[in-house]
Amino acid sequence: MLTKFETKSNRVKGLSFHTKRPWILASLHSGVIQLWDYRMGTLIDRFDEHDGPVRGVHFHMSQPLFVSGGDDYKIKVWNYKLHRCLFTLLGHLDYIRTVQFHHEHPWIVSASDDQTIRIWNWQSRTCISVLTGHNHYVMCASFHPKEDLVVSASLDQTVRVWDVSSLKKKGASPADDILRLSQMNTDLFGGVDAVVKYVLEGHDRGVNWAAFHPTLPLIVSGADDRQVKLWRMNDTKAWEVDTLRGHMNNVSCVMFHAKQDIIVSNSEDKSIRVWDATKRTGLQTFRREHDRFWILAAHPEINLLAAGHDSGMIVFKLERERPAFAVSGDSLFYAKDRFLRYYDFSTQKETQIVPIRRAGSTTLNQCPRTLSYSPTENAVLICSDVDGGTYELYQIPKDSIGRSDLQEAKRGPGSSAIFVARNRFAVLDKSNNQVLIKNLKNEVVRKSGLPVPTDAIFYAGTGNLLCRSDDRVVVFDLQQRLVLGDLQAPFVKYVVWSSDMESVALLSKHSIIITSKKLVHQCTFHETIRVKSGAWDENGVFIYTTPNHIKYCLPNGDSGIIRTLDVPIYLTKVSGNKIFCLDRDGKNKTLVIDATEYIFKLSLLRKRYDHVMSMIRNSQLCGEAVIAYLQQKGFPEVALHFVKDEKTRFNLAIESGNIQIAVASAKEIDDKDHWYRLGVEALRQGNAGIVEYAYQRTKNFERLSFLYLINGNLEKLSKMLKIAEVKNDVMGQFHNALYLGDIQERVKILENAGHLPLAYVTASVHGLHDVAERLAAELGDDVPSFPEGKEPSLMPPAPIICGGDWPLLRVMKGIFEGGFDSTGRGAVDEEEEGADGDWGEDLDMVDSDGLQNGDVTAILEDGEVAEDNEEGGWDLEDLELPPEVETPRVNARSSVFVAPTPGMPVSQIWTQRSSLAADHAAAGNFDTAKRLLSRQLGIRNFTPLKSMFLDLHTGSHSYLRAFSSAPVVSLAVERGWSESASPNVRGPPALVFNFSQLDEKLKAGYKATTDGKFTEALRLFLNILHTIPLIVVESRREVDEVKELIIIAKEYVLGLQMELKRRELKDNPVRQQELAAYFTHCNLQMPHLRLALRNAMTICFKAKNLATAANFARRLLETNPNENHSKAARQVLQASERNMTDASQLNYDFRNPFVTCGATYVPIYRGQKDVSCPYCTTRFVPTQEGQLCTICDLAVIGADASGLLCSPSQIR
Amino acid sequence: MAGSPDHLFNLRNNFYLGSYQAAINNSDLPNLSPDDAVERDCLVYRSYIALGSYQLVINEIDSSAATPLQAVKLLALYLSNPHDKESTISSLKEWLADPAIGNNPILRLIAGIIFTHEEDYNEALKHTNAGGTMELHALNVQIFIKMHRSDYAERQLRVMQQIDEDHTLTQLANAWLNLAVGGSKIQEAYLIFQDFSEKYPMTGLILNGKAVCCMHMGNFDEAETLLLEALNKDAKDPETLANLVVCSLHLGKSSSRYLSQLKLTHPEHILVKRASSAEDSFGRAVQSVA
Repeated sequence: MLTKFETKSNRVKGLSFHTKRPWILASLHSGVIQLWDYRMGTLIDRFDEHDGPVRGVHFHMSQPLFVSGGDDYKIKVWNYKLHRCLFTLLGHLDYIRTVQFHHEHPWIVSASDDQTIRIWNWQSRTCISVLTGHNHYVMCASFHPKEDLVVSASLDQTVRVWDVSSLKKKGASPADDILRLSQMNTDLFGGVDAVVKYVLEGHDRGVNWAAFHPTLPLIVSGADDRQVKLWRMNDTKAWEVDTLRGHMNNVSCVMFHAKQDIIVSNSEDKSIRVWDATKRTGLQTFRREHDRFWILAAHPEINLLAAGHDSGMIVFKLERERPAFAVSGDSLFYAKDRFLRYYDFSTQKETQIVPIRRAGSTTLNQCPRTLSYSPTENAVLICSDVDGGTYELYQIPKDSIGRSDLQEAKRGPGSSAIFVARNRFAVLDKSNNQVLIKNLKNEVVRKSGLPVPTDAIFYAGTGNLLCRSDDRVVVFDLQQRLVLGDLQAPFVKYVVWSSDMESVALLSKHSIIITSKKLVHQCTFHETIRVKSGAWDENGVFIYTTPNHIKYCLPNGDSGIIRTLDVPIYLTKVSGNKIFCLDRDGKNKTLVIDATEYIFKLSLLRKRYDHVMSMIRNSQLCGEAVIAYLQQKGFPEVALHFVKDEKTRFNLAIESGNIQIAVASAKEIDDKDHWYRLGVEALRQGNAGIVEYAYQRTKNFERLSFLYLINGNLEKLSKMLKIAEVKNDVMGQFHNALYLGDIQERVKILENAGHLPLAYVTASVHGLHDVAERLAAELGDDVPSFPEGKEPSLMPPAPIICGGDWPLLRVMKGIFEGGFDSTGRGAVDEEEEGADGDWGEDLDMVDSDGLQNGDVTAILEDGEVAEDNEEGGWDLEDLELPPEVETPRVNARSSVFVAPTPGMPVSQIWTQRSSLAADHAAAGNFDTAKRLLSRQLGIRNFTPLKSMFLDLHTGSHSYLRAFSSAPVVSLAVERGWSESASPNVRGPPALVFNFSQLDEKLKAGYKATTDGKFTEALRLFLNILHTIPLIVVESRREVDEVKELIIIAKEYVLGLQMELKRRELKDNPVRQQELAAYFTHCNLQMPHLRLALRNAMTICFKAKNLATAANFARRLLETNPNENHSKAARQVLQASERNMTDASQLNYDFRNPFVTCGATYVPIYRGQKDVSCPYCTTRFVPTQEGQLCTICDLAVIGADASGLLCSPSQIR
Repeated sequence: MAGSPDHLFNLRNNFYLGSYQAAINNSDLPNLSPDDAVERDCLVYRSYIALGSYQLVINEIDSSAATPLQAVKLLALYLSNPHDKESTISSLKEWLADPAIGNNPILRLIAGIIFTHEEDYNEALKHTNAGGTMELHALNVQIFIKMHRSDYAERQLRVMQQIDEDHTLTQLANAWLNLAVGGSKIQEAYLIFQDFSEKYPMTGLILNGKAVCCMHMGNFDEAETLLLEALNKDAKDPETLANLVVCSLHLGKSSSRYLSQLKLTHPEHILVKRASSAEDSFGRAVQSVA
């Protein structure tokens, strides 16, 4: 049982879940009805109008209503939004036990101790039916969820099923209700509207509860005989099916579970029992110490139950609903029902992969808890609580998406098991506090003790484990047996790694801790409610869910809400603004969220101001929250750009030191306080102009004078003096005079103010004797005496420079300045003030964070080292033994050891197995390769083949640096590798030449021919001819292609050679014509043939061999040449037809089929004797026999040869 | 079996996986036991040897150093002076005959390496076959592979797997053997190198290993990418160059640049030797056929 919420109160007699909101109503024996939010754990409201215990309470499905019934015989209908009782239904004559709304009709059914069941219409507020028949208290009555039935239980030991279908007609015409009212009395006594359908007898004592099955025709009842009975019904009858015994006292309530095949009952024996509805055996019992149970309620939609007892109630669920899942790249593997399933994030398709073992339902909560996946081995580990913790290892078949049979999974005991490397997994052995490292055959490879008492292990990168103990987690390196990181953390439930494995989020019940991979703490988030799940987005923001929110955490510790949730979800992946999750039914869902806020904050944090800029420009981010955030985070200059309100703007401008905007805002606001603050800030920055302006606006003359004094601006000071004079401000006048050092003025002021002695003293001290005398005369006897030896000291020094600004404090000019000021807001006079103001370098902020981190790691390292030391002592002792044991063994062995004879090198195997020349060449066995070629193709001249041989040989081995400083290992590369090839069986060598390369060359050759680059083309075709002897292909069909290729290449070589020859023969027109003519008889591609024909036609026409030219023209026309060419051909034809003669005799008879001799370039007509090249099949006149073939330059003309062998398929 | 942490783990790993400079740089480990310190020094000097700094090793190890270090110095002497191997080999033999130090695993290891260079596998195995350290076993695997006796190599590997299946050398030896026997095992070798590349920083050795696997699987394009990455790390690495030559040939690209580079920097490389001997044998064969 997973308790979700608990209350302490008076005895709870009635409970009802709200359909949509996380609310539950509890009616108490004290008469109070409480409305709780069980998710937040708060009491929302209480309704206290009943007099005496309230036994029944029920929420309406859709309206903001609930109904209650109590011992005051009253049924009350409440509106919880209005916090009040709407009306009271009166009629029952004794305690009311239960009340229930109908799911669609405006009805309420109530059961009462007055032995009746009543059905009320709450819209007309009338009783529409009274069901009589029970002859003792009716303890409960409820509507069937779909059909027109009511089931009731009574202390008369019966359960009754009532047919209420006839009431529908009544209800259909509510206007009739008033009429009906009069008839009610008749109905009361044997009315026809609601009739008893079945009476179920079988309990020996009073029945406390009866309930329908939500879908099947079943009823379950619980009674004071301590039994739970199961009943079945059909159209005509109902009968008892089975009895569930086990409760030790009166069964108070019982019900079917909506989603699972179980029955839940509770009793005054202080227990809740769960029964298997099919096997009818007890599954589990939950006991309370002191409280008898009275009532059960099930949530109509989600998997929650509630039970009321003597001192409160509990909201709980029976089974965990979190699906076990693992994310790997773009795939999600998860367990649902009895299958392992696969979900592809990119295509959003899900498939069922393999069936997994279903836990025998002997107890609850046996479904998979965690799942771990190894992508390379395509294997899945599933852990569950079966038998106190077991894991199962499934291999996902290659052609995965199948309905393969239930494979016998490899399994073993252990509460957590996870993959720690490609083909290794760790299983926690809690009792010995060690992990077993196993391979995929489920064999233990290694054991490793754990540094802390561990109750669960999680993945922490390859070869590492994250071990959880009660109050801390450590990252443990299994190979080095080193603790890499250690952190105090409240009981961590889930661990989520970022995709780069650099950060990890540790999820506890109510908190999230984000740390680096070595558990260096970064930040902690606390929640008041449960943390459900989390996932990292690509930017390093951690997104998590609580039961009702999706939230984000930024690396700096800021967090916020992204959106609210109706039901809990389990995040699997976050990708951009898409959130992938599993819901409680194990269905994959995709939510689209607005990621703007956290991306914005993240960009700020990362100082990606360009992003911030574009986000500000392109999205509507404004709002007090953002401004406050920016201000708080020290980005007033950014916030500035969001704000329209002048006062806020002014404040932000001052804070960010942006004087121009502050001035603009101050002008708009124009009140004394703001001017004053502007002045203060401007003074701080040293912007005397603005200070002056601000003082002027506030008419703060004294400050202004002082400013002028400091600035040495005597001119303005004297102006100030005048202003003071005009204003009749004697003190101001005096000050200004003092600042100016204007003695006469001062004397004058003092005199005017009547301070004659002072005026006299001033005058005489400063040597204004005439004035002094005048004053002395005026004063007469009162001439004051002077202190002796005082020099006049009240003379201000003369200013060195005057006016202008002081060097300005450097104000941070962010990227924003340029970007936003251009919007035109608040452009102020002094545009360039920053330019002359730079004092020098900006202060380099020492990165205090970095420093601290460094220190911390240093300390950590120290700590580790210290630890190591302690253990070092042990190490030595361990190590002492082995050498002694080993020494004799070495000697003993070396005396008997006989080194094995070297095996056969792969290249030798190649030559033995193959009769293909290429294989021999690759093996480096050039001798045999040449013999083979000589035998097969009559090749005698190997010089053109040299580079091919060498390349084949070089390409046959790769090089592996194995042991350091030891010689390199060379490895034979084999061709035709496939995954299923068995090891140790040698394939033939991989060859550096293949057929497709030749195809490329052929195309290149064609192109060169078309372009008229005959030498180049000739080279390419020759290369093809030279490579083919060393080509190996697989199939017979390809062999034919190779042979075809020889012919093509040969024809071109011959043709091109003739063409080149023709060009050399400038002075022999007859031979030229002949060669051009023969060229047209080589087997060429159509475009090339056309070119050859045109060529021949032109040459012959020019040489006045009109008949021959006409022949070429005709042949050219047959090839459908383009317009120009065909026009020329027709003209030649026309010209020739007039005079079908040849000027000179050619050795060329186009009517007689012939081939051209490859050496002498003369036609060999059909029937004439010839010899041919055994390789390239070029024909020659017999005199050429025994010579080297002039076309392929390889074979000897007329030599014996067995033919081209270029495929193993030819040998088989 | 909780055992104490293994201080030299990272150092060894770096060395085995060919990040020699990292091994040298991170060798300053405090509080080592005397034995560990000697092993550390051996690894560091062997890293220098692997980097070609023979003279440094020869100069730094003086006659008072421990036997293992002397052995390492011997290796440096052997490799630094290809023309005067005899004296090195004779002193090596002398030491091996000395019962007091003849059984030192490092000395035996060095003997194994030197005799393997001499292609005297019987002599090499005489000293290494008994095993005793993972390195000796790994060297055995390599010698057997060179002798084309993968059956023996496999037996050695079994021994290593029984000692520590997850040891870096076990994994490496497994990959070597997988490559040597070929077939479906190539895939496994690839996965082993892949694992290394995920677990540890990329080294030329790992990249070459992956590339060789790719080549054996016929995937020359990927091999070329990997090799070019390796070339970025070390432009003079002989294996990278040699494999690039092979790879380019298969891709139909010109290999002459890499080949001449290799000939310049490592005239003794097996590929260069093979190429020149092939040329000779071609000439001979022409004569014999003609």
